Amino acid sequence: MIGFIILATFVGMVVVAFSSIIQSKLADSIILFMGVGLGSVTLFFIFKAPDVALTEAVIGAGISSLIFLMALKHLGEEA
Amino acid sequence: MSLKRELPTSTISGFALSAVFILTILNILIQNMPLFIDTAGDKLLQINTQDGVANAVTTVVVYFRGFDTLGEIAVLFIASLGIGLMLHKNSTCTLKAGSNFMLRSASKILFPIIMLYGIYVMVYGHLSPGGGFQGGVIIASGVLLLLISYQEFEVPHSLIVLLETFAGVSYVLIALIGLLTLDIFLGNFLPHNISEMGMLLSGGIIPIIYIIVGIKVGSEMSIIAQNLIKRDENV
Repeated sequence: MIGFIILATFVGMVVVAFSSIIQSKLADSIILFMGVGLGSVTLFFIFKAPDVALTEAVIGAGISSLIFLMALKHLGEEA
Repeated sequence: MSLKRELPTSTISGFALSAVFILTILNILIQNMPLFIDTAGDKLLQINTQDGVANAVTTVVVYFRGFDTLGEIAVLFIASLGIGLMLHKNSTCTLKAGSNFMLRSASKILFPIIMLYGIYVMVYGHLSPGGGFQGGVIIASGVLLLLISYQEFEVPHSLIVLLETFAGVSYVLIALIGLLTLDIFLGNFLPHNISEMGMLLSGGIIPIIYIIVGIKVGSEMSIIAQNLIKRDENV
């Protein structure tokens, strides 16, 4: 069961990462990039590294995506 | 609007001079440091219990590798300094488009909870997963929520200067007290019994140092977020 969850998370991360680089809109890419971060949070937690999982959840999926979105808002209609 | 900005020569030369100064001091410190490479890894975790800290990762990050943590918060400080030098504007700029009603109402409820969770993660860093870096970034994300919710909100600069100076100075002071009393840089000079393992007040200086790291990371990330968001909004 746990192996299936790990495998599904891996496959989902690869799919989300690939679909984030083929998006035409940058906002969609950023949202999908957050999905990659969430997948890695799951994997870190399963592999018994809750400290790293907490760091990844806060920095990778939280702060960095918000900063990406703010930068996108600064760019405006050019992007 | 062009992305190029004029930087005075004095700023660049001052930045380069301070970088050379810091590198020289670090070089001297590293040359005088004894190296214990053969005790890395699992052996460190085996002797973890002698410090009375329940979370082994915290012992490694703050105690066995405390010098690295000092370097890490120095790196974060330099990053925040660079962003401030490049992007800071004195004129009070506000966001062009105001935030909507839902964000403003939700931030009133969410902000205390985020701050409370950040402080919990910070203070219980030696007992449960988490610690100074994570708690500091959670607190900074609460400040970021206020920054995007209220146009007029600004992080008070005097408070940030006070907190950051206090945190950096007290980290080095605690490390130097350890050097004076136990002949070890970052020596654990406070009582740390194994029988108290798992209590809030245990582990000697380790929780104190992690709280200091949390204060420093939180203030630096808040000021980085403010400099990134409130930049050139009136153009």
